[in-house]
Amino acid sequence: MVLGIIVSVGILSAGLNLFEGYERTLKSVLLDSFAHINIQSSNNEYLTESQYNSAMSMLKGDPRFLNVSPTISYSAMVQEGSQVRGALIRGFDFSLSFPYHPYIIPLNTGLDTGEIFVGYHMAKELGKSIGDTIRVVYPQLDRISALGLFPSEYPYKIKGLYRSGYYEFDRSIVIMNKSDCEQMIMTSNRYSRIEVRLKPDYTDKAGSIADEYAAKLGGSFLVAPWTISNVSLFRLIAMEKWLIFIIFSFLVLIAGLNVVSAVITIIIDKKNEIAILKTIGTDDRSIQRMLYYRIALVAFAAIVLGLIFGLLLSVIVVNQNFYTLKGDVYFIDKLTVYVSPFNQLIIFSVSALLIMLCISIPLRRINKLEIIELIRNP
Amino acid sequence: MAKSYKDSDRVIEVLKNVSLDIKEADLICITGRSGCGKSTLLHILGLLDNPDKGKLVFEGKEVTSSSKEAPAIRNKDLGFVFQFHYLIEDLSAEENVALPMIIKGSTRPEAIRKARQLLTRFGLADRATHYSNQLSGGEQQRVSLARAMINEPRIILADEPTGNLDPQKSSEIWEVIVNLNKELGQSFVIITHDKEQARLARQTYELDNGVLDLISG
Repeated sequence: MVLGIIVSVGILSAGLNLFEGYERTLKSVLLDSFAHINIQSSNNEYLTESQYNSAMSMLKGDPRFLNVSPTISYSAMVQEGSQVRGALIRGFDFSLSFPYHPYIIPLNTGLDTGEIFVGYHMAKELGKSIGDTIRVVYPQLDRISALGLFPSEYPYKIKGLYRSGYYEFDRSIVIMNKSDCEQMIMTSNRYSRIEVRLKPDYTDKAGSIADEYAAKLGGSFLVAPWTISNVSLFRLIAMEKWLIFIIFSFLVLIAGLNVVSAVITIIIDKKNEIAILKTIGTDDRSIQRMLYYRIALVAFAAIVLGLIFGLLLSVIVVNQNFYTLKGDVYFIDKLTVYVSPFNQLIIFSVSALLIMLCISIPLRRINKLEIIELIRNP
Repeated sequence: MAKSYKDSDRVIEVLKNVSLDIKEADLICITGRSGCGKSTLLHILGLLDNPDKGKLVFEGKEVTSSSKEAPAIRNKDLGFVFQFHYLIEDLSAEENVALPMIIKGSTRPEAIRKARQLLTRFGLADRATHYSNQLSGGEQQRVSLARAMINEPRIILADEPTGNLDPQKSSEIWEVIVNLNKELGQSFVIITHDKEQARLARQTYELDNGVLDLISG
């Protein structure tokens, strides 16, 4: 009985700890990798000079913002020999703001003209490392000659690697100087969008802050918080978490069935004592209560041990080397564990409720035990 | 009262129109051959079983084993001594004795104190903290008697209390019963095979073929 409760509660707890860890890590990685609010032109074109100036003056000085970074962003390709990869180019004016310094290897590396940062996994997949040169190709459809498509194509030196932990980004991002970006797409002094990163206390309020600025900036701007682009993902993760909880709760229920048979065995084992207690005047409810408390105390201790076992199990799973997450499937490639007090409380409450039910149902049999039968058949 | 059992297709009438009046300070012995229904009668008197016909009246009120007040009557007004002692193995002698008093609502120290007094009276002071498997048959039976006595019940029902004891131990138990009956005025209804010991009772009945006959008293 005790072992069954410990194992089932442990698995339930470990499952939720890992899922909670995954959800929090993914959220944190997403918040680190993306702008919290993107401001761009509503017609999906580059921001005009007047749009850029009015937006920047409006955004300036908001105490909720960590930084405001105008960027150029477009899709291109990275070529290494016969290998070609799709790449998301992001150009920053490093003299203004570059919010992703913490994710660059080596840390605090600056970027000069002709140098780029590439995603960690992209570099790995192409067999490139810091100091190597890589070609970035931009197929500009309006530059067609008699010989066909005429793309912009430049070599860049890899100055550093970008590693946020968000696999999709780490395998596709290329960060370069604004001037290099402009040279490639043949434009000047234009930005695709303005990226706003919020202070940690405000990241969950990105939606309302975005609404506030959408109203201020007017209809020529599209103001999108990070929650909009990832809302389905987080809903899915939350749903999966509770689905796991329900499925693993069935394990506790199975352990509860063991409790039922254990209680029936206890009643059979203790029938002489029950007969004595009934004979000397104990009523059925008191006997039930007495047995209930004794069994429940053991069961509750088993649930607590199960929670501890779950914690150990999740730490073991996180530190093992046999299985790693596939980043292309699960977005992140590292398992993490997070012990949420709320989840532990929920697990304890649900397990305790199930076990209490499983204890109390067979104890009702005591009402049906006739003292005379117990005394005649000691 | 009447009581019958079904054995395959046969109906065995163990008690036929039995009537017994128990007064204060009575010492009643019921004898009879094995299987004649003595224990059944005692169980009905002790609210552990119900008659098929007839009724049990306690202090002017009809009661049954399933009455709401039955547990309280069993706890305060009746004391049981069985042939097989029925002590709780996980409890010491003094805890076994104290149990009915604790169930009645007394505090544990108070109940243990009284249990020790009773065990001393029964010559078991040095065995108070021993568990039942550390006690001899006679000692267990005296513990069982002390347990029956602790709440000072009006009636003590004993089913062959000396049935498993040697003659010397058996005499000791009977001596205790007779003394208690005289000193405290408690009523005893005792089932026994032993006709010699039955002579110590004020009234002796014989149960034969379902009928209870007064033999002496």
